[in-house]
Amino acid sequence: MRLTSTPLPADRVVLRQTARTAARSAALWGSLFGVMVASSAISYTQLYKTQAERQHLAVAFGSNHASSALFGPAPQLQTVAGFTVFKTSMTLMILGAIWGLLTSTRLLRGEEDAGRWELLLSGPTTRKGASGQALGGLAVGVATLWSITAVFTVVGGRYSKVDIAAAPGVFFALALVSTAVMFVAVGALTSQLASTRRQAAAYAGWLLGASYALRMVADAGVGLHGLIWLSPLGWVEQLRPLTGARPLALVPIVVFTAVVAFVAVRLAANRDVGAGILPDRARAAARTRLLFGQLGLTARLVRPTVVAWLCALATTGVVLGVIAKSAGMTISGSSVKTVFARLGAPGTGAESFLGVAFLIVAILVAFVAAGQVTATRVEEAQGRLDHLLVRPVSRVAWLAGRVGVAVVVVVAGGIVAGVATWLGAASQDAHVTIATLLDAGLNVVPPAICLVGIGVLTIGVWPQETSRIVYTVVGWSLLVEVLGGVTTASRWTADTSLFHQMAAAPAVSPNWTTGAAMVGIGAACAAIGAMAFHRRDLRGE
Amino acid sequence: MAAAKTTCTYSFRTQTLAAVRTEGLTKRYGTTDALRDLTLEVQRGEVLGYLGPNGAGKTTTIRLLLGLIRPTAGRAEILGVDCQHNPVEAHQHLAYVPGEANLWPGLTGAETLHLLGRVQGKVDVAYRDGLIARFELDADKKIRAYSKGNHQKVLLIGALMCRPDVLVLDEPTSGLDPLMEQAFRQCISEAKERGQTVFLSSHILSEVEALCDKVAILRNGRLVETGSLADMRHLSAVTVEVTFDGPAPDLAGVSGVSAVSANGPDVHLQVSGSVEPLMKALGGYHVTKLLSREPSLEELFLALYGGQDAADEHAVAG
Repeated sequence: MRLTSTPLPADRVVLRQTARTAARSAALWGSLFGVMVASSAISYTQLYKTQAERQHLAVAFGSNHASSALFGPAPQLQTVAGFTVFKTSMTLMILGAIWGLLTSTRLLRGEEDAGRWELLLSGPTTRKGASGQALGGLAVGVATLWSITAVFTVVGGRYSKVDIAAAPGVFFALALVSTAVMFVAVGALTSQLASTRRQAAAYAGWLLGASYALRMVADAGVGLHGLIWLSPLGWVEQLRPLTGARPLALVPIVVFTAVVAFVAVRLAANRDVGAGILPDRARAAARTRLLFGQLGLTARLVRPTVVAWLCALATTGVVLGVIAKSAGMTISGSSVKTVFARLGAPGTGAESFLGVAFLIVAILVAFVAAGQVTATRVEEAQGRLDHLLVRPVSRVAWLAGRVGVAVVVVVAGGIVAGVATWLGAASQDAHVTIATLLDAGLNVVPPAICLVGIGVLTIGVWPQETSRIVYTVVGWSLLVEVLGGVTTASRWTADTSLFHQMAAAPAVSPNWTTGAAMVGIGAACAAIGAMAFHRRDLRGE
Repeated sequence: MAAAKTTCTYSFRTQTLAAVRTEGLTKRYGTTDALRDLTLEVQRGEVLGYLGPNGAGKTTTIRLLLGLIRPTAGRAEILGVDCQHNPVEAHQHLAYVPGEANLWPGLTGAETLHLLGRVQGKVDVAYRDGLIARFELDADKKIRAYSKGNHQKVLLIGALMCRPDVLVLDEPTSGLDPLMEQAFRQCISEAKERGQTVFLSSHILSEVEALCDKVAILRNGRLVETGSLADMRHLSAVTVEVTFDGPAPDLAGVSGVSAVSANGPDVHLQVSGSVEPLMKALGGYHVTKLLSREPSLEELFLALYGGQDAADEHAVAG
C-alpha cells in the first residue's frame, strides 16, 4: 500500500481532530439555534400583528415575575427583537451550556477514558500542549456554533416585518453561545478534576444547575437581584442583546472563560494521565449488598446518576415552589392569561404558574429517562453486557430489569419534584396541597415512560443511534413546546411533542386516561424493541 | 491426516452428548462470510485448541456458541442444549473468558467476582480464594485501577471459580506475564483432570501445544484442519538433517523429499509420508550424522498457511 495523503503536522493533530468533531456537532446545534431564533421572530409578526396587541403583551409580561423567573426578564416585548430575546434566549443559553459541557468532557476526559489520549500523547506533544490544542479545537466548534446561529439570525432579521439589523443579530448570536463558551471551559476544568467522563460531566452539570437556580431566584422579584452577578447565566442575561446591548458585560464572561481554561491547561500539565485531581479511591472494601444479580447491578450502576438527578429535581421543585405564590399573583393581565391558557394553564395564581412551570420538571424527568436508555445501550456497546449474557441471564430479563429501574427512577423523580415543590410553596403559604402537587409530579411521568419505550425500540432496531434518537425526541418536544406557546403550529406538529398531551397540572387536573395511553404506547414500543433485541446480534460501538 | 474439509475427522456421534457441537454453522455479514458451514464436535473432557489467523472466524464461532450473535444457518449446542434457542440453560454449563476485558470500572475485583458468581448461580468459594492467591490478584482494587493483565485475571478467576462443565476461552492469556501464564496452564490442566471441557482459542501456539488434545484450524471462515497433534505431526512433513562424509548428493528427486537445502556436507530437507525411500537413497553414502524431528505446532501452522497463501496467490494469478 502506498500512502498518497500528506500526513498531518504532528503538533496539530489534536487541534484538528478536536476541531473536526466539535465543528460537526456545532453545525447541527447551530442550525437548531438558528431555526428557533428565526421562527420565533417570524411567528411573533404573525401572531401579534397590531401595535395594540404588542403593547398589551409588553404591559402584561414586562414586569411579570413568574415569566421572569422562568425565562429571564422581558423588556421591549412590544418589539420583534424584544420578544425574540425573551422567547429563545434562556432555552438556548441552557442548551448551549449543555452542548459545551458535553462536548468538552467527551473530547477531553472521554478520549482519555478510551485510551486514545495516551496514544496522542505518545507523539511529539506534551500534556499541556495537547490540552491547549484540544481547547483550540473546541474554540473552533464554538465559532461554528456562533457563525451558523448568526447566519440564521441575520437572514431571519432581513425579513421585512422582523427587521433586525445584522450587527445586533450577530451580537445576539454571540450572547446565545456565550454559555457554550463558558461551559466548554468548565468541562475542560472538570475533565482535569474528575477521573471519569461521567463524573466530569456531572460536576459541570451541577455548576449549570446552580447557575440557573441562582438566576431564577435573582429574577423572581424577591429582592435578591444581586445574585445575578454570581451566576454565569446571569452574566449572559446582562448582555441584553437586541434590547439595549451592554458589551461590557462580556468582561466577566471572558475573564471567567480565560481563567477556567488557563487553570484547566495548568492542571492537565501537572497530573498523571488517566487520573483526576480530586482523589479517586483506587481501593475499597467490597460492598456486595446490591450485587445479588443483574437487577441489583443495574441499581448499583445507576445510583450515583439517579441521586444527582433527584437532587436537581428537588432543588428545581423547591425553587419553583418558593416563587410560585408571588409569580402567580402577577398572572392577571388578559394577555398573560391568554398565553398561559394557550399553554394549557387557565386561571391565575400559584397553581396556574406551576401548571406552566412544571414543563421544566417534565423536561428534566425526560432527560432522566433518556439518560437511563442511553446507559442501557452503553452496557451493550462497551461489551460489559457480554459478561452477564454468557451466564444464565436472558436478554429479555436483563432488558426488562433495566426498563423497570428506569421506570422506578422517573416515577421517583416525579414524586420528588412534587413533594419538593410543595415544601417550597408551603414555606410561602401558597396554599397548594401536597396531593395536588404529587399529582402534578406524577403527571410528568407518562411522557418519560413513553420515551423509555421509544428508547427500547431503538435499542432493538437501531442500537447505534439510540442516544442520538432519544435526545433528539426530547429536543424536538422541547422545541415544539417552546414555539407552540406563541405560534399556531399545526396540530399534527404539536402532537409529535412528548409533552403536548400532558395536562398542565396543577393548573388543571391530570388527564390520567391520556397518561395511560402514553404509557401504553411506550409499553408497545418496548415490547417490539425487546423482541428485536432478543433476535439480533449484540453490537458494539 | 485427511485433507482440509469442513467436517472434523474426529467427530463422532454417540449416544453420549458432545460438550460442544456445531452443525453447518454459518455467519454472514452482508456479502462477507465470517464463518462457513462449520461442523465440529468436542467431546467431554477434551481440550480443543482453536487456531487461525486474525479474521479467520474464531471469535465469530465463539460468539455464536455463546448465543451473542445469531447464525445465518446451522446450529450449535453445548452439552446437547441449543445455544440459540435455550441460551440460559446452555450457559448454566459454561463459562467464558474474552480476550479483551471491559468490566464495570466502579466495582472492585472482589465485587466483580461476587457479582459474576451470583449471576452464574454457583461458586466454589474455597477454590475462588485459592485462585485469587495463585494469580496474586489484589481484589480490593477498583477495576479502573487495574492493568490489562489484572483485568484478565479477574475474568479467568470469574470463569474458573464456577467449575463449569465447559470453558470457552478466547485469547485468555493476553496481557498475562509468563508466571501468570504458567499458573493459567496449571489451572487448565487441573480442569482437564477434573473432566471439564476446554475450547481454547489462542495465538500462543506453545500454549495450545502444551494444553490441547486436539486442534482445529480455521482459515477464511472455513475449518481447514482438525485432529490430534499426533495425527497432524504424523501426516505432516518430518524435518531431517543429514551430514555426509564428503560432498552431499542430490536428494531432490527422492520420493517424498522436499525443501532440500545443502551447505557443504550438511543437507536439510523435509520428508512427507514414509521415510523408506530416503533411507534407501542414503544407503549408498557414508552418513556421519542423521537427525530427524517432528514439526512443532508453529511449524505446522506456518507450513499450512504458507502453503495456502501460495495456493491462493497461484489461483489469483491463474
